[in-house]
Amino acid sequence: MDFDDNPEEAEYRAHVRALLEQHTGELLHGGAGESLDPATHEAEFRRTQRVLAEAGLIGIPWPREHGGQGGTLVQQAIAGQEFSRARIPTLINHIGLGMCGPTVIAHGSDDQKERYLARLLRADDVWCQLFSEPASGSDLAALRTTAVRDGDDWVVNGQKVWTTLAQVADYGILLTRTDPDRPKHAGLTMFVVDMHAPGVTVRPLRQMAGGSGFNEVFFDDVRIPDAERLGEPGEGWRVALTTLMNERVAIGGGGSDIGVPVETLAAHARDRLPALGPDRQVLARQAVGRAVVASLATRYTGYRRFTVLSQGGLPGPEASAGKLAGTAAGRLVADAGVRLLGDDAVYGAAADGDDTWQGMQAYMPGLAIAGGTDQVLRNILGERVLGLPPEPRADKSGPFSGGTR
Amino acid sequence: MNFDLDVDQRDAAAGARAFFTGSASPAAARAALEGGAVEPGHKALADIGFLGITVAEAAGGAGGSLLDLAVVAEQGGAVLAGPSLVTAARAAVLLAGVPELAALLADGSTAFAVLDGPVDGSHASIDAAGATLFLGLDGGALVVGAGEARAGQPMDATRGLASVRLTDRRVLREDAGELWARARQAAAVVLAAEDLGAADRAVQLGVAYAKERQAFGRAIGSYQSVKHMLVDAWVGVDQLRSLLWWAAWAADAAPDEFPLAASAAKAYAAEVFERAAETLIQVHGGIGFTWEHDAHLYWRRAKVDRLLLGDEAEHLDTVARLAVAGALRA
Ligand SMILES: Cc1cc2nc3c(=O)[nH]c(=O)nc-3n(C[C@H](O)[C@H](O)[C@H](O)COP(=O)(O)OP(=O)(O)OC[C@H]3O[C@@H](n4cnc5c(N)ncnc54)[C@H](O)[C@@H]3O)c2cc1C
Repeated sequence: MDFDDNPEEAEYRAHVRALLEQHTGELLHGGAGESLDPATHEAEFRRTQRVLAEAGLIGIPWPREHGGQGGTLVQQAIAGQEFSRARIPTLINHIGLGMCGPTVIAHGSDDQKERYLARLLRADDVWCQLFSEPASGSDLAALRTTAVRDGDDWVVNGQKVWTTLAQVADYGILLTRTDPDRPKHAGLTMFVVDMHAPGVTVRPLRQMAGGSGFNEVFFDDVRIPDAERLGEPGEGWRVALTTLMNERVAIGGGGSDIGVPVETLAAHARDRLPALGPDRQVLARQAVGRAVVASLATRYTGYRRFTVLSQGGLPGPEASAGKLAGTAAGRLVADAGVRLLGDDAVYGAAADGDDTWQGMQAYMPGLAIAGGTDQVLRNILGERVLGLPPEPRADKSGPFSGGTR
Repeated sequence: MNFDLDVDQRDAAAGARAFFTGSASPAAARAALEGGAVEPGHKALADIGFLGITVAEAAGGAGGSLLDLAVVAEQGGAVLAGPSLVTAARAAVLLAGVPELAALLADGSTAFAVLDGPVDGSHASIDAAGATLFLGLDGGALVVGAGEARAGQPMDATRGLASVRLTDRRVLREDAGELWARARQAAAVVLAAEDLGAADRAVQLGVAYAKERQAFGRAIGSYQSVKHMLVDAWVGVDQLRSLLWWAAWAADAAPDEFPLAASAAKAYAAEVFERAAETLIQVHGGIGFTWEHDAHLYWRRAKVDRLLLGDEAEHLDTVARLAVAGALRA
């Protein structure tokens, strides 16, 4: 057991650091809470990812034939750690890198891989994930957006919602219903859709924290060539599971903190504790201690999962526990951070405009919903890890159009 | 990075599981509440070598790491074994410079206990009830001596708790404050390891029952309120294992991280084990509230352990103080 870099890892880390140093002038910098918005700083975000890609630091474990580096998951994790150390904000194409790209690699045609993957890595194209709809979020397979075959094309009509980054995206992976007469999971088909195609309308939605991280997307007679299908018609659910499996690993899978790192909380507490009266200090230390413990428990559990991956194992359903526990820990960290602000805790930002803690507090509820709600993750863990029986369901067998949705 | 047990540690855990499964049980813990012996007992633990895992080879021990001991302790915890390996871990640290006493610890010829609090009237201390020789901190000095033990009515009889007044004492080492603190941290980690094993078993028992028991025409584990309660308990156990491994590893491999890691593991163990034990009872309904059922034996262990060697509040405070002072690994 050890947590240190072996010689190859140390060498790789030094390599990454040197590259980040060398390109520092071309990269965006800003830590958690500095709320850099990809929509308002789109050009800088795209440039940042392109510079990193040209330095060979994006898509590290992807095969070389797809523009990757043919490297290891360990190298990717090291690069990720060094990005956060250098305070590089979340990459603009994080959905593309984490979810869409792996889905194209697993199910796309050679032609699609050729056209899309290298550009995705460089953020020449930004991608989004068009799954959720007004009537189907947790119950994704209940979606209603239709795709109907017409010659060499499919014609898409319907609406997606909560689509992160759609307002800047060039492409999306789009899950549609192609056969309403089959049971809900069996009549789905996945496509790559051009977000600039005629009939695609994107409307930003304002989130509770004030920003516009996600959107609603309307499809009115949008034509998608059959060559843009991912997987066979009717196989969309299986394709979507690839995406969702990668999503679980991307969020909270490998020992990176969800929300503000505990080191930041510790530094904040060091600044703020002395200003509190002795009794309040005792209470504040309890809150800080609890947050640190929960956060470290999640971080070290991530290291265990990561060890499995680095030894060639596959992420199992237990990866869902990382997001569930990480979100809970993130809430404790954000809450302790806000409370330490004293009077400023009831304002949206401190007098000097710093809203790190308030911003993180307002961001946490979304994390408990995005990528599988806390409740859905508990169902997955209970059924797939603990082997508890599922709830009886009436919606799985009859035709979707038959009303058992 | 390689955050996993090695092959030897896995083998040791499997061996310990076999040993403890054959020599201790919740049934024995129940019998102990009515005056029966604590199983497997001091002699059996000495004979199989568990009391000397972290004692130096020169003193007749195995010279192993705290992690080696923790993986064994976890298996003892699963079946509520006693006496606790906490004392073995703690006394091994305290006696590192006293090989002739360490040898008596390792071969089991003397039953040691380590006293918390003043030596002329200690706090309730683990396995003091059955011990013959006591280690304590007296005005900053490490002392050893015989004493009189007074036990209250046990909540968990496997813990052997008693308050002790030393009747004689000999100084082993002056200025032993730092050594004492490190020994207590090692003890906290081993207690957390026993709690991990017990909490893990409690969750397994709850899950097994939830698959079997029917209500309203289906297994109760299919109801979300039951399922989610068990999931939360399981997630806690899984995360506790990570903190515990880290803390036990740090004892030997990263001494700078050890104090924070040990307190984190102990604080988290208190919460996780209590939740697992409460869940075990609740999932069982009425049968879970009976004397004959094993659930309350896990619950008793949880209710006692959470307060031993520093409660959750003390250890959370320690974690916060150390974190604020810059002790987090960068
Ligand atoms: C910040 C953010 C970003 C997002 N980004 C994207 C994106 O890029 N692409 C995309 O496709 N989607 C995205 N989503 C949507 C997200 O995947 C859905 O919101 C989520 O799956 C929940 O679906 P819903 O909103 O329809 O809520 P519902 O499914 O209606 O859930 C409402 C409540 O019911 C509970 N519930 C539902 N079913 C069950 C069940 N079986 N058991 C127990 N409880 C249940 C839920 O836990 C929740 O509390 C994003 C969401 C957020 C908040």
